[in-house]
Amino acid sequence: MAVQTFLKPALPLLTLLPGLCLIPVVAILVRDGHGGGLPLLIQFAQGALQPSFDPNLLKNLWQGLQITLVIAILSWGISSGLGVILGFLGSRTLWRTVLGSAWPALLFRRLLSPFRAIHELIWGLLLLQIYGLNGWVAIAAIVIPYSALMARVIADQIDCHESPALPVLQATGGPAIAVLMTAVIPAVSSAIKNHIGHRLDCALRSALILGVFGLGGLGTDLMLSLQSLQFHDMWSGLWLLAIAMVVLDQILGSLQRKQRIGVVISVVLMLALVGSATLNLDLSWPSGTLGSVLDVLGDDHNAAAALFELNWVAVIGSTLLITLMASCIATAVPPLLLLLWPSPGSLRLQSLIWGALRLLPTPLSALLLLVMAKPSLPLAALALGLHHSGVMGRVLIKDIRETGFGSAQTLERGGATVRMSWLYGPLAEVSRSYLAYASYRCDVILRDTVVVGIVGSAGLGWQLIDALSSFHWWLVAWLVVAFIGLTLLGETITERWQQRLNCKAVVL
Amino acid sequence: MTALLELHQVSLDQRLQSTSLTIRADERVVLLGASGAGKTTLIQLCNGSLKPSKGSIQWRGQPFASLTRHQRRSIGTLWQDLRLVEELSVVQNINSGALGRHGLLWALRNLLGVLDKDACLTVMDQVHLEPSLLNRAVTQLSGGQRQRVALARLLRQRPELGLADEPLSALDPVIARDVLDTLLSFPGCLISLHRPDLIHRFERVLGLRNGALVLDAAPETISNSQLEWLYRRS
Repeated sequence: MAVQTFLKPALPLLTLLPGLCLIPVVAILVRDGHGGGLPLLIQFAQGALQPSFDPNLLKNLWQGLQITLVIAILSWGISSGLGVILGFLGSRTLWRTVLGSAWPALLFRRLLSPFRAIHELIWGLLLLQIYGLNGWVAIAAIVIPYSALMARVIADQIDCHESPALPVLQATGGPAIAVLMTAVIPAVSSAIKNHIGHRLDCALRSALILGVFGLGGLGTDLMLSLQSLQFHDMWSGLWLLAIAMVVLDQILGSLQRKQRIGVVISVVLMLALVGSATLNLDLSWPSGTLGSVLDVLGDDHNAAAALFELNWVAVIGSTLLITLMASCIATAVPPLLLLLWPSPGSLRLQSLIWGALRLLPTPLSALLLLVMAKPSLPLAALALGLHHSGVMGRVLIKDIRETGFGSAQTLERGGATVRMSWLYGPLAEVSRSYLAYASYRCDVILRDTVVVGIVGSAGLGWQLIDALSSFHWWLVAWLVVAFIGLTLLGETITERWQQRLNCKAVVL
Repeated sequence: MTALLELHQVSLDQRLQSTSLTIRADERVVLLGASGAGKTTLIQLCNGSLKPSKGSIQWRGQPFASLTRHQRRSIGTLWQDLRLVEELSVVQNINSGALGRHGLLWALRNLLGVLDKDACLTVMDQVHLEPSLLNRAVTQLSGGQRQRVALARLLRQRPELGLADEPLSALDPVIARDVLDTLLSFPGCLISLHRPDLIHRFERVLGLRNGALVLDAAPETISNSQLEWLYRRS
């Protein structure tokens, strides 16, 4: 009788173990921390309860919000359309049905991968340098990676939902397109609609971050308020943003539920918003100087010099370290809070906490943390990790609500404590899909390191922003190539992990 | 004999009419009735999953609501849908039956690897489960094996009263016999069945019809016509 006795953590425990990363992170923050920033943090917290109602400020913030919303809505709309088309072209099922071979799908996927590997902020800063400040620059910066990212998710969804009716319909001898429309589209339409809806929330956050880095809109206003320590003004903007997010969520809900009045109101609201915001947003066609960048890139000497300018091991190592720490924090914090406070009633309050963490753009939360501690990699990781734990927390609570609390009640009746019941019940039940989503989130976090690199004064993101500021184009090019390589490597690893879990991440 | 579970004029909406019932230690009770007669409702009231709209339930003379977690583990249930934790292995599922006797640290250690192996192997042996399945994911088991894992978990819980809701449905005769033997080994049990041919293995037969308790007798006193009436459609 051979019984293996190796340590093999079960899935619910794997959701908690990354929390061990918090120990060194907190230890380093305590070492690097200083009490000097505490009054500022208290002022920041007070600002939430006493936002400024100055009419001029509110007018400015409203105009900023309009710009952010229009950038988000237009880029979301365009990337959704492109994403669906490219997603179908990247589907193995489609090409196998039409041509009998899936190789064009693989080709499309490979061609699109560099576009999604580059963060929208990098696209934004690159396009800003080439074409100058223009509304289309911000929109294009979001559309390019989002279209490629949505294409990948949609192609995966189509391939995952391959209908058992497909071979039956093919055998009827009907045209391939008709077969696909009958067997595939109805099966995936719900998943695609959900994903497209989720991307609006992401587009809004991306538009905000672009604003933080100078591309206009509410993000710029929030950044300026934070830099001048006007927390009451900053909170006026954050509350406006929160209201906008709730309204957008409701609009999306009514669109998904196909409520006729909701749809009409949504369309009218969006048209009115786009119309009025165009008064404040420059949407003229940009005239660029791409040629000058290409001229610089033509100099081979600069290329080689730029390549040996950096200590690549240190730069890539610090990027990976931020990613690892932030991923651990983002994955472990929601289940830890759930077990700290396990009851159906507490889920609503936990949702509010996750919403608040998503509300504040990562660069701003990183700057806020900077008032309490010296710049360091753990600080950058904490800012990034907490923001993404807002997203992970939302996913965890949604999954648990869908699964129900029956298992916890059953275990409690058997004598288990409430915490044990939630660990072995609801958390265990959702752990597989949660970990699959966490692996997808690691990819996103790796891309997002560019946003917080400035806080850690380290990583590819920091170097990239530095190179862009000094128009060092060859270094920019090498850094972008490094980012693409890392992101694609990360995607390959997380795909393997998802295969091991036997669960594809349901990217909302 | 000591009264374990007492139901005093318990009713629940349209599902169960006013029912009074006492189950004593060392008493093996079978619950019969057609589908929809209220068997599952009665089992769920007995284990506290459902709360009665009227009446009261007591465990060893104490109201259900005031039971501590250590007292609650004295009532164990073999659910019809088994309710295994699909993300865990066989040994982790079996050990989850013992959560009521341990703390959170033990629960976390159980998720890390094989814990209390000997105790698990003992109960696995009792339900005729191969020891080589100890580390297997429960999702990889057959229906009969899963049923036996659920039963082993119940044995690990060591309840005084074992409740089971149609535990023999969809089992082959050999596994069904093993499962029933194990359930009858508990100090007290209440088992709902669709098998009138097995009533001679119990000391008491309860019959439900349209949500009312219409039969409560020793098996040797029950006639075939009474059994047929229980299952006849009204």
